[in-house]
Amino acid sequence: MKRRSFLYIALGAVFGAGILAGCSGGGSSESGGGTGTTATGDSIKIGLVASLNGDQRPWGVDSERGVRLLVDQINEAGGVNGKKIELLVGDSNSDPQIGKSATEKLISDGAVVVLGEVASGITAQMAIACTEKGIPLVAIGATRDDISDKGPDIFRVCYRDSFQGPVMAKFAFEELGLKRVALMTDKKIPYSTGLSNSFRDYYAMLGGEIVDEQFYEGGASTQFNAQLTNLKGKNPDGVFLSGYFTEVGPIVRQASQVGLTNVKFMGGDGWDSKEIINSGGEAIVGGYFCNHYSDQEDRPEVKAFLDAFVAKYNERPGTTMGALAYDAAAVAVEAIKAVTGDVSSKSVAGALHNLENYKGVSGDITFKGQGGNPPKRALVVELQADGTQKPVKAYAPTDVK
Amino acid sequence: MDLGTAFAAGLQLDFANLPQQLVNGILLGSIYALIALGYTMVYGVLRLINFAHGEVFMLGAYMALFVSWWLGYSPTATTLGQSSWVNLLMMLVASMVVCAIIGMLIELFAYRPMRSQPRIASLITAIGVSLMLQYAGALFLPNSPPQPIREEINPYRNEVLQIPLKPRDTTFIEKIKVEEAEFNAAEAAVKARMETEGVKSEFDLSPEGRLLRETRNDERNDVTNMKSEYERSGVSLLIPYGQLIMFVTALALMLILRHIVMNTKPGRAMRAVSLDFDSASLMGVNVNRIVTLTFAIGSALAGAGAMMSATFLGLSLTTFFGVQPGVKAFVAAVLGGIGNIPGAVLGGLLMGVAETLVVWSGYGDYKDAIAFVILIAVLLFRPGGLLGSSKVEKV
Repeated sequence: MKRRSFLYIALGAVFGAGILAGCSGGGSSESGGGTGTTATGDSIKIGLVASLNGDQRPWGVDSERGVRLLVDQINEAGGVNGKKIELLVGDSNSDPQIGKSATEKLISDGAVVVLGEVASGITAQMAIACTEKGIPLVAIGATRDDISDKGPDIFRVCYRDSFQGPVMAKFAFEELGLKRVALMTDKKIPYSTGLSNSFRDYYAMLGGEIVDEQFYEGGASTQFNAQLTNLKGKNPDGVFLSGYFTEVGPIVRQASQVGLTNVKFMGGDGWDSKEIINSGGEAIVGGYFCNHYSDQEDRPEVKAFLDAFVAKYNERPGTTMGALAYDAAAVAVEAIKAVTGDVSSKSVAGALHNLENYKGVSGDITFKGQGGNPPKRALVVELQADGTQKPVKAYAPTDVK
Repeated sequence: MDLGTAFAAGLQLDFANLPQQLVNGILLGSIYALIALGYTMVYGVLRLINFAHGEVFMLGAYMALFVSWWLGYSPTATTLGQSSWVNLLMMLVASMVVCAIIGMLIELFAYRPMRSQPRIASLITAIGVSLMLQYAGALFLPNSPPQPIREEINPYRNEVLQIPLKPRDTTFIEKIKVEEAEFNAAEAAVKARMETEGVKSEFDLSPEGRLLRETRNDERNDVTNMKSEYERSGVSLLIPYGQLIMFVTALALMLILRHIVMNTKPGRAMRAVSLDFDSASLMGVNVNRIVTLTFAIGSALAGAGAMMSATFLGLSLTTFFGVQPGVKAFVAAVLGGIGNIPGAVLGGLLMGVAETLVVWSGYGDYKDAIAFVILIAVLLFRPGGLLGSSKVEKV
């Protein structure tokens, strides 16, 4: 009898915890426009939410390393106006709801500004939490367009899908000479559907033909034979895969097995991870995707960043998110430096809105007059057999549209 | 637009693809069937839905991953020797053995103590075991980033079995040669131009060079189109060797299972236990041993399915790897009539084919919904499943 009741208690605890975790996501219906946080004492707290566990761990690890590198550099140089920057880190576990809870925790711990996430789905939830409390958010790699509509003080240091979609469409049509392209979209992630749409529209405008679009669900699909057989029947010159590397790899590996060879595979920055070479195998070598910068560029910002990164961690960042996270932290610190008087969420947000021509590792960043969406350049890279990315063409914000 | 026209607008039927899609469906279904057998066997003897079965599948996939590392195909290895079928067999056997042991342990520690309790207690325990393996497994197993088994371990990865149904139009072969010659000439022109301009990448060419490159691209598209037209002039089924191995192995395992259940003494005991648990024990059947055997066999089948999915399909492993296949296979088992062994196979194949046909018809977004639509439709008319007995239970 005793054993049984213990089991019930244990089960109750498990389910109770599950229910609580489920609630914390949807709750708190405060009527927006919180007052934000004001930094007190001799340190200024900034928060970072990153996917330190789960599918997107490669991005999360690089995010944390990039931000920590910058914060350490600033503190070693004496901090900002005599105050140290204190970094608070939360783990989103690659999950939007957990990301939102982590953001709320960072805000209640006193962060004046929150940095993060790479995935648009997670960032959207973080943006809601930040807007509710009146805290500015600087997103690292969230490219989906509507992220910045979630509130007045939502910034990002990356380009948007309405830019990278057209860039890849232009590259496919003009540089690769592909006239018939098929799309493959992950129905489950907002990033993928948004990117597919922007690619489709621009490619059709250029005069190319979208011959087919097939769907799958990330995490739920195992065999892609059915979709790939359909694609093959439509005889495309190229296939644009707008999903994350976790599914793109297996899809491309299986594509070669159903005889979908001789086509060019392309994608967005969701491809950016070394893992894609292991899961994609030989078939993915020679694929093109859109990225934020390349560690093979010779701009001084890139060199300085890579030298400092290697000195601290003994290896180069595995993804471009290391550089973007460094930039996100840098613009936040730049804004804090520009504040006169009290460092508060409000004053930092104001300074961010006025930021102009910051020379970031991933290129120039300007928020002034842009509503949180800096015009950024994009780099098309080619996957090499050793997993490195060879830059093949750069596009300026004015090159499309 | 009313529903009918909306449906017709999205419908795109390419009948040349249909035979291939049916084959794809059967290949997919054979794995569902393999997992579904585990659910149905356990239900047959214990009237318990083993929700942890999907997690046994996940652990089997990890076992295959570890064996592949041990064989030298780790993510960091750069020089890989030629793999052979022996490697695959070792992974298969290791996965099956480990899964059988895990299945037996789960039964011994989680379900046996609950057997005299109301059935709902066992059911909740099953959910608990499932969650424990998913989340506690994440502490020990390499899951972030998700790890795929390297394709180099599969020596047959580039081989495809072609079954011609209608011969191709061979006049295309000459045309392809002509197109290829034109392409090669254009390619040579681009290479020469890159040489004279002194650029390393074809994307840095001057406008004149770009014109050459465009011609080359058009020629390349012509070659691709011609080849594809050649392929489409006949009808042939393509089956990648890896997936063929999956199908044949699954089939062989199912036949072995049938032999065990129908023609051996433990099999007869298993059927007796399934028919009436208490009477079987009164007749001298060692019920505990039979239940353990059932778990071992069912889990070993899941392990085989897991090893083959992970190896031949290139999927990355997390501790949630078994959730979706588990759900699908469970639906397949219910569809075929839970507790009924041929029913599980039928249900699995039916699910695989149905899902594939939904994608074929252009409604790929509803792929996962269709499984449940079929389930509801079947249960409305045959509450016991397709082959199950629809005996009304007193509540």
